[in-house]
Amino acid sequence: MGLTSSALIAHTTNLDLVIRHVLAGLGQGIHAGRERGSGVEFSEYRAYAPGDEWRRVDWKLLARADRYYVREAERDSHVALWLVLDASASMMEPSRSIPGLDKLAYARTLLACVAAIAQRQGDAFGLVVLSGGRVQFTPAARGPRQLQRVLAKLNAAQAEGELPDAATLKSGLRFADAPALVFAASDFLDFPSPLSEALLRLRHMRHDVRLACIQTEAECTGGFDADPAYRDPEVDGGVFRFGSDLREGYLRNREAHFATVTAACRAGDVPLVNARIEQAPGEVLRQWLRPHLHQAGRR
Amino acid sequence: MNSLWWLALPTLLLPIWWHRKKRVQVHAEPLASARFLPRTEPRQMRVWRWADVILMIVRCLLLACLIAWLADPVLPWRGNTVVVAEGTDAAWAEQQVQAAGFKDAARLSLPAAEALRWVRAHEREWEPEARLLVLGDIPMPATLPQFRHALELRTLAKPAASGEVHVAIVSDRAGEWRRMFAALDGPLRAVVDAAPGTKTELIVWDKPEAPPASMRAPLWWATDAAAFPELNKTASVDGIRYADSPRGRLWTSNDWPPADPAAARRLLETWRSLHYAPLAHTAPAHRFAASSVPAAQHANGAVRDFLMMALVALFAVERILTHARRR
Repeated sequence: MGLTSSALIAHTTNLDLVIRHVLAGLGQGIHAGRERGSGVEFSEYRAYAPGDEWRRVDWKLLARADRYYVREAERDSHVALWLVLDASASMMEPSRSIPGLDKLAYARTLLACVAAIAQRQGDAFGLVVLSGGRVQFTPAARGPRQLQRVLAKLNAAQAEGELPDAATLKSGLRFADAPALVFAASDFLDFPSPLSEALLRLRHMRHDVRLACIQTEAECTGGFDADPAYRDPEVDGGVFRFGSDLREGYLRNREAHFATVTAACRAGDVPLVNARIEQAPGEVLRQWLRPHLHQAGRR
Repeated sequence: MNSLWWLALPTLLLPIWWHRKKRVQVHAEPLASARFLPRTEPRQMRVWRWADVILMIVRCLLLACLIAWLADPVLPWRGNTVVVAEGTDAAWAEQQVQAAGFKDAARLSLPAAEALRWVRAHEREWEPEARLLVLGDIPMPATLPQFRHALELRTLAKPAASGEVHVAIVSDRAGEWRRMFAALDGPLRAVVDAAPGTKTELIVWDKPEAPPASMRAPLWWATDAAAFPELNKTASVDGIRYADSPRGRLWTSNDWPPADPAAARRLLETWRSLHYAPLAHTAPAHRFAASSVPAAQHANGAVRDFLMMALVALFAVERILTHARRR
């Protein structure tokens, strides 16, 4: 099942299909954020209280009962949800075991699923794509059309260039006024980076920031081919070699790096989910949506 | 010696080698987590593939052309040939050609004095089995020449052209001088003019006073050295002192005019041998068999001009192509 899910990502560009497939096995939403208020779906009547808007009074019921009743509907969530996609060149890293699957596709799927969940529960959601040193900003909105818009933007995202610098990020991430849920998918190979600092800053501003660290199986185990020369997609110059003699050092370096990442996230109280792209997206999504449960469970 | 340049032909392999051998860097795959790996030197790989074939061909041709230009190849392209010395009686030449059986042979006209030497120097141009017929008043060479081809020499001595020399005698003893010049025998004949003119080649100045400044001649015979200040300090050979002056060469002797026939003959002989080329003696007819003498080493340059033009053109093309490739 897990493999088929990941393979599905590799084989289709239809995010809708993947979302449906992933969410089929997934439980409920992100947060219990349904509040009553003005909205579309009717919930109940209640007696008019001074201060209520006149337009919300049910006039037919007034005629029948000769009393003022106010239509109470399920209010839309007041939580805005932000999806942050790191589409720098390093996200092009392919899975070495599943052909056609790369980090970007996986991150895209995760974020699309989150967007679909947000849309189902009536949350406003926006998208921030960081690619080629620029910030592509899709303002937060609700509804199915917004979902289609966000999916299209996710589909169009190409992994290229580097992450934007601090100044660009600062001007790009301007959603700090309302309480927000921030879902950021990145490989966090640059750490600390302007992105990580911006995310930690958002956390300090009492937003709920959740990070997914997208990795590949080969990256985690050092399972690269020894034959070809390698180059860093984001840093020019220099050729790198891999071999069984270098695996030890590679794993040590990598562990040290991600230990820093984890420590920084823990210090900033930011839940971090390590996602291997060969893993079924459903599992990762469950962890990502309910980090506290999982962390509690682990403890 | 020139043909040693052909040994340079293997240099043609160089452009081929350069064009086939391309050092390309091993393709580096992107790896996101490369930063955790040690940096290494870029590996180079030799790939055998043709690159810029046209440019390579042009470069090879350029090199080959250069080597050929240096080696100065001679292609044997002449067949049976009749070499006719310039100024030979055409009817006689035709008759000799018929007689020798050279009807279809090519004709080549050369100056008589140079004919044999030219044939010897350009012998490599003739095909190995070609025969040659040399006709005309060919002067007899000092040594018997040898040729790599069968060569038949048929000569017809031309009547010797009598050379006239204009002599002006300015003397009170003109009679003595005239007798002496009248005794001049051989092909050189002296014409005694009354007064020096433009054609005068010898002025006999037998007077103590200096001649007018405008009077010029290639040779002056002066009896009185006082008339020519140039003769004051001069070298002397065989009783004759000589000097060069703006008027011409001066000879003087105290014994002039010569008193006896032997002295006169000696003076005239000296004059003729120093101032007039000897007349060539016509060689006797001879049949030279083909011998195995080595070919003359002289560069002969038959294709050199063509090769040089080709070299320039190829060089221009090569530069243009190289430039176009860099763009």
